[in-house]
Amino acid sequence: MIASTEILIGNAPQPVQPYLARLNIQPAEIEFAAEADLNLDGATCSSFLIGTADRLFAITPSAATDEQVIGPIYVKSAERFRTFSAVGSAFFQVKVQGLFLDLVRFSNARREQFDRIATQLENRRKERPFVRGALTEPDSRLCPVCSLPLPGRRAACPRCAQEGGLLARAYGLLKRYRGRLVVLMVMMLTVVGLEFVPPILLGKVLVNQVLVPMQHGGWLIWLVAAIALAQFSGAFLNVLIGRTSTAIGTRVTFDLRRQLQEKLMDISVDFYDRTSVGSLMSRVLWDVEYFHGAVNQIAQGFLVNLLKIIGIGAVLFYLNWRLALLVMIPIPLVVVGTMFFWSYVYPRYFRVWDGQSKLAALLNGLLSGIRLVKAFAQEERERDRFSTMASDLRDSRRGLDMSMATFNPIMGYVFGLGGLIVWYAGGRQVLGETMKLGDLITFLSLIGMFYGPIQQLTMFSNWVTGFLSSCQRVFEILDVEPGIGDAAKPVPLPRMAGGVEFRNVTFGYDPYDPVIKDISFKIEPGQMIGIVGKSGSGKTTLMNLLCRFYDVQQGEIMIDGVDVRKLRRADIRRGVGLVLQEPFLFRSSIAANIAYGRPGAPPTAIMDAAKAAYAHEFIVRLPAAYDTRLGERGAGISGGERQRVSIARALLCDPTILILDEATSSVDTEAEQQIQQALGQLCKGRTTIAIAHRLSTLRGADKILVLDNGAIVEQGSHDELMKIDGGVYAKLVRIQTELTRIEQ
Amino acid sequence: MSEKEPSQTPPPVVTRETMARLSATGPRRLTPANCQIFEGTYSLLHCTVMGDQIYRGVFASLAFPVSQPDRFICLRYHGSDGKNKEIGLIEDLNVFDAAAQGLIRESLAKHYYEQRIKRIVKITFKFGLLFFEVETERGREQFTMAWQVDRAQDYGEGGKVLLDTFENRFIIPDVRELPARDRVRLQRFIYW
Repeated sequence: MIASTEILIGNAPQPVQPYLARLNIQPAEIEFAAEADLNLDGATCSSFLIGTADRLFAITPSAATDEQVIGPIYVKSAERFRTFSAVGSAFFQVKVQGLFLDLVRFSNARREQFDRIATQLENRRKERPFVRGALTEPDSRLCPVCSLPLPGRRAACPRCAQEGGLLARAYGLLKRYRGRLVVLMVMMLTVVGLEFVPPILLGKVLVNQVLVPMQHGGWLIWLVAAIALAQFSGAFLNVLIGRTSTAIGTRVTFDLRRQLQEKLMDISVDFYDRTSVGSLMSRVLWDVEYFHGAVNQIAQGFLVNLLKIIGIGAVLFYLNWRLALLVMIPIPLVVVGTMFFWSYVYPRYFRVWDGQSKLAALLNGLLSGIRLVKAFAQEERERDRFSTMASDLRDSRRGLDMSMATFNPIMGYVFGLGGLIVWYAGGRQVLGETMKLGDLITFLSLIGMFYGPIQQLTMFSNWVTGFLSSCQRVFEILDVEPGIGDAAKPVPLPRMAGGVEFRNVTFGYDPYDPVIKDISFKIEPGQMIGIVGKSGSGKTTLMNLLCRFYDVQQGEIMIDGVDVRKLRRADIRRGVGLVLQEPFLFRSSIAANIAYGRPGAPPTAIMDAAKAAYAHEFIVRLPAAYDTRLGERGAGISGGERQRVSIARALLCDPTILILDEATSSVDTEAEQQIQQALGQLCKGRTTIAIAHRLSTLRGADKILVLDNGAIVEQGSHDELMKIDGGVYAKLVRIQTELTRIEQ
Repeated sequence: MSEKEPSQTPPPVVTRETMARLSATGPRRLTPANCQIFEGTYSLLHCTVMGDQIYRGVFASLAFPVSQPDRFICLRYHGSDGKNKEIGLIEDLNVFDAAAQGLIRESLAKHYYEQRIKRIVKITFKFGLLFFEVETERGREQFTMAWQVDRAQDYGEGGKVLLDTFENRFIIPDVRELPARDRVRLQRFIYW
């Protein structure tokens, strides 16, 4: 991309200066200048947004003469400034006479800069302070130290955070097993040494000094015994090596999985909004396995192979340097062939892995949604879909296996050529009596041991690539900032009173597109507040903010007069209870599900909570009662029953602030009545915030907030809101009353 | 496993009656008979819908940008609350006159800014980031992408959309149509 992303303060770039002179704008008048990288038609070129204390100009030097300057736009007379996202680019817009006009267009790389300008111009338009410093804040998508693009907004810089690269970090994970790894390597080196014994004893001693000269017949038994002992020792050490590396490998993977799981529990909710569960699962399940492989590589991989090559190579040259040179002939062929093969075949591995994970995901979705498939009679189609994906996997697996099946015999043949060369050249030397037969046999035994490690080493770079990619995926999770962390010195709040206050809260999942806009309200301890509004009006977002699943971008949320960002998350979680529209029950017993927030709760407390939640009766009627095992997501009981179990779970936690997010909207009328009764129990003596579509459930609320498009448009008691002529709430109540009458 | 077998039961067909019933509650269809498209105040796209009103500051977007890029165009406008709202749906732009077609196509071109990748020249992996050097319709481009699954999404049947660290979009319409070496280069990293 061209052009600087910096916003110039009190200055204008050279290309626009002639235009400013023509517009009679003095350099001292210029407050800011920002450069966009596209013109309004989307062509790559520079255009500029120039601001003075009261006016705005868009200047595109490369445009047609009559379109080079848009403006002046008088800030005070504009109705709004904003950035508007299209697909892949965005526009800086001003609203004039009810119409949004595009002033400049830019790629998403400039979005943050122009968004800051829009915010400050809005401040000026509303006669709030224009903060110049806010325009020059560092881009949150670039590392402030090295300017490397960050993998996520305000994420840790991978270059600055990486001390010594991925391999060093991977070693860091293995460091606690350093002692065992050293033992492992010592054993491996001993095995390498022992592998030299049989060929040397066989060729140089047994053949040259016993069999060919037909003397030292008594040595035979001792030589065979020595070879057997060397082989036995090697085998014994190999058993130890295998067991040790397995023990270390499984521990490493176990530790790493535990670390990942802990991290996943700690990461803020917005991470899960942008990351697929499948990809996280594959990291915890499969990428971690690479670390097991890493232990094997240390035990049997790079270093050992290198030592073998050096050691065997030295022996070969020591035995016969001319013949050793001939042994080297196939090496370039093997190296080039292996490297070519792996660069060709490695992507095929990825395709197989990808095929496997896609097939697993398809099967998971299919089996989870089996009722839907049957209800829509789509068995045939699902069979076809599965068949297509299974065929893809079959094809990619076949391609991979066929490549391997072709490569291995070819490499075997090339190695065989090496052996044949040595047989021919060495045979001539034996016939010419310049070499002993035993030396030739030793030589031939050793070249088999020489080529193997070479091939292994050529594949090592590919293994490293795969390992590094797995490391990267694993570290990507380990490096995620928890996002919502505890303050350095949190304010203790051992017992909540239940007061809640929102002060000028603004928040958006996409920071450029707020869904909660400047909201303020207050709830006294013990009050019940209802929140109503259309879907997408921001009701659930408000509650997500109160639970501190996300942090506000502007304003404050207070619990008992303390900003939630200053409270310990554990205190918030303990004091705030949540009953959701879709109760999530785990695959476990009903009792364990009720006691989820209070593990170890006594059975009597579990039953009391269930009784208060009107769940006890249906539970004890089940054959295994509280010990009934529920399936995935609570399968085995009805929707209303699941909801009452979730209410019992909330009751057992005894929260001071209770959030009911559409707790009765997914059940039938009868179940709703029972749940309402249960909720009545639950709400007693607590601050309750209820989000509801069925407005009849909020009649008893102390106050009802009506949300529309992220802002509170009405608030008051039911009776007060019903008196507002043309009010949103009154209209919603009338519609629902009418619908209920029709249903009846 | 046997190859794909012929279906025993024919797939359910949406009847004309069903279509008619659904269209009554679906997006309003815009045709030359009920909609006039023209350039109005501030050179913005305007449209008049018969029996409704004049919508000013209209823009067009595609309902199926990948599978049906030439059909099913939504006309939208910015409401007084700043949110964009739908006016209606043009099923086939070709039934409109050339001037209206030109205005809509201009609006669509403004709404989408995607670089189409023709060649992948080089991919370097460093610090968990992929540094791409590609050839697009606009020439040689470089961009940086986090090596994460959600940064390379499926695009149609065989394509991919790569999102760089700033969320700029780089489209590979069909990975299978890339030159073989470029495909290998890409799939070494983007294999999902």
